[in-house]
Amino acid sequence: MTHFYSSYWLRWLCSSKVFFTLVSVFGAIMLTSPRIHAQVITVTGNKTLTITTAVIGSEPTPVVNSTSTLSYKRRSAIAKITVGTSCPSQSFTLKVLAVSPTAGTAAPEVTLANGMLATDFIINIPSGSTAAWRTATLRYTASATFAQGNSTEMGNDVHTVTYTLVVQ
Amino acid sequence: MNNNAPIFDIPMLHTKHCYQNLQLRRMIFLKRFFLFAIAVFFFFCGTERTYAQVYGSASHTITVVVNTITMVSVSSGTVSMTITGTGVIAGQNQMTVANSATSLLWGVNSSLKKITAQTNLVAPLFAMKLLAVSPTQGTAAPEITLSTTATDLLTNIGRSKGSCTLQYTGVALASQGTGTDSHTITFTVAAQ
Repeated sequence: MTHFYSSYWLRWLCSSKVFFTLVSVFGAIMLTSPRIHAQVITVTGNKTLTITTAVIGSEPTPVVNSTSTLSYKRRSAIAKITVGTSCPSQSFTLKVLAVSPTAGTAAPEVTLANGMLATDFIINIPSGSTAAWRTATLRYTASATFAQGNSTEMGNDVHTVTYTLVVQ
Repeated sequence: MNNNAPIFDIPMLHTKHCYQNLQLRRMIFLKRFFLFAIAVFFFFCGTERTYAQVYGSASHTITVVVNTITMVSVSSGTVSMTITGTGVIAGQNQMTVANSATSLLWGVNSSLKKITAQTNLVAPLFAMKLLAVSPTQGTAAPEITLSTTATDLLTNIGRSKGSCTLQYTGVALASQGTGTDSHTITFTVAAQ
């Protein structure tokens, strides 16, 4: 008898437990891990900021580094970029500001603190063509007080700073 | 007739069995198709159109290094004191003059530090005493008489930015006569 279930491939497709399992697992991965999406946000390499001097009567002179670039793509919906950091045993202060973003609006300077909640960094990134990369300069400012000590005694602060592109 | 009856019954039973089997297979197919559809739904849920607050993320490492910074300074480079005899009490050998016009400022980001003071004048004619007054951090040592040996002026300044008033007192005895002492005083942050 000929009916809709007689097709060999359809029968194989529907009867294959392996295929069903693979599709389910892959779907679950897609749900839980956005990292396998096409790359839509990148940030340039690692940096070191060294505080070396002070003016008498004042705290150590902050150090600014503006050599990092954040690149991101517009999406099909209005989006924003958040920032967060992981820095166990943080001793000193690190702030970051988005300078001259080519898409979206820079939020006020963000103070990076270990375990902080993701904080708005660039907002109102308009939807549109997803092909071109948009950029913003990252201006990091490191500062410390005399009371916070030095790296010899306290160790360096090593921040893993994460930028996330999300729906706004 | 009885011998023929089974012959006709068999095809009838077979047809009924096939119909039931077809229904069963159709139900199985629909069940599997439904499960497959759920899987496909989950698959597309992973795309940014239907799900995903998060499009992607990127990280890099920023290292903050703070060097050891030790600074100490005086508010003015020159202090001049003169014992003129004004106010000298008759019959008293010792005459003094004091100056509290200058301050000591420091900034230290290391622990367990102190500040010492010393003069370069090996053989002063007159005694020069120094006291740290009202330090914002640390503990002032008792008034010291300056010598070429570094002597504690402030202790336990720790990691701090602070200041204190420098109170100089020049002491001359009438029996020492007249003269001028020129001190170059050095303040040093040292390990405690």
